[in-house]
Amino acid sequence: MTAALAFKPEKARTFAKEVMERSGQNLVACYQCRRCAGACSVGEETGYITPDRLIRMILTGDQENALNNELVWKCVSCYTCGTRCPNEIQTGRITETLKKMAKEAHQAPLQPQIAHFHDAFVHSGLRWGRVNEMEFMAFYELRNMIDHVKGKKFGAIFNEIKTQSTLALSMMRLKRMHFGFLSAKGRQEIKRLYKKKKK
Amino acid sequence: MDIAYYPGCSLKQSSSLYDHQNRLIFERLGIHLREIDDWNCCGATSAGKTDDFLAMAMPARNLGIAMSTGLKEMVIPCSACYSRTLVAQKYLDHHEDLKEEINSGLAQKIKGEFKVSSILEVLLKTLETGTLLEKAVKKPSLLKPVCYYGCMMTRFPFDVPVPDDAENPQGMETLLKAIGLQPIDWNYKTNCCGASAAVNEPETAMNLMGKIMKDAVSMGANCMVVTCPMCQLNLDAHQNTFCRDQGIMERLPVLFITEVLGMAMNFSVEDLQIDRHFVDATGLFRELEETGAEKKS
Repeated sequence: MTAALAFKPEKARTFAKEVMERSGQNLVACYQCRRCAGACSVGEETGYITPDRLIRMILTGDQENALNNELVWKCVSCYTCGTRCPNEIQTGRITETLKKMAKEAHQAPLQPQIAHFHDAFVHSGLRWGRVNEMEFMAFYELRNMIDHVKGKKFGAIFNEIKTQSTLALSMMRLKRMHFGFLSAKGRQEIKRLYKKKKK
Repeated sequence: MDIAYYPGCSLKQSSSLYDHQNRLIFERLGIHLREIDDWNCCGATSAGKTDDFLAMAMPARNLGIAMSTGLKEMVIPCSACYSRTLVAQKYLDHHEDLKEEINSGLAQKIKGEFKVSSILEVLLKTLETGTLLEKAVKKPSLLKPVCYYGCMMTRFPFDVPVPDDAENPQGMETLLKAIGLQPIDWNYKTNCCGASAAVNEPETAMNLMGKIMKDAVSMGANCMVVTCPMCQLNLDAHQNTFCRDQGIMERLPVLFITEVLGMAMNFSVEDLQIDRHFVDATGLFRELEETGAEKKS
């Protein structure tokens, strides 16, 4: 990526408007002081893309890069950027919004395992009303395994199994692995509401 | 006094010790925790990242149930559950349309005034009334703690009344000082442990936890005290890994605030299940157990 940002006026208005409305954040208030950049927990991992630059991308209509960059996927939603922003822009909400928009645009996530994780978690919470840690981890790992097999990354499969089983064993030893099953009867209320919303 | 209680999924599973400790110490403090009926998952940060509607609807149902109990306040010890529930409540207060839409599908509706409290808010109240000091008769004097708050106690994705200073929270320090301990001032108390990244992006999370650990060690701490079950599990379960990879020789037990206060209230290591930590924490309390305790001065 080049440092210079190209202005794409035809896209800028609609894209920026959608991000602002869905995230509830007033991006035009950003005056690029970069306090967010200094505050970012994952700043070491995201290279060129800092929260302020992400905002700039959105405002200039660079939809392609805004939907697909390290910050969007590696953001841990610690909300430090937004807490320190003098204009009260919660950039954490922006990365959360862009993840959803990337999915809707059928863009393959830059970090598939992160997308799998959150999907598996919410599905588990919705399916049973409560998240069953073992079930959701099984679904998460299954989706990772499928990716690894497709990509012929057999070393990754081995490492994943090794890491998770080591953790699982020590959790069992401390009785921190739960074998019971959790659910909430009222989950139907949320499922019905969600179905209605999706129509 | 009765107070509504939302444990959340992790307190029923990997952090069931925290659920158990909360019940023990609050009962002793004269606060009866009434777990709300048939509660559901709050959606945690995952819902915020995948679906905005669910991120509101999931905690909203719990709020409706809690409000229908007739109680005025609910304590949520898990930081993520606390944050999501508080944010949903305040967000829906500002978005009547969405509130109405969600209420239409809920058996128990959201209505009226209701206080969603963090565990620290409730504990600090018992300090104000004097109950805490009346019950905390011992001083776990081997402890040189740093208090770690993480993200969710003070930073929110929506404008909500923040119960402590966002950059330098003092809730845990106030409690520990009150029982005679000297918590150590440090720089990483509100840094992020990586949360779910410990599973889905371990490199990032281990890097973040390594920094937290190095600062705690360099300040001379011999344990960390936390309120969040996610931070506790991360810093505890992965400590050997990130310390080994980053050349950190020390290991620090990661204690729940309920464990420190519980020991001060004369519960035993077994009562509180302190033996369920990855990094052994029982040694820190051995003195209390053996000598039958130094009375708090």
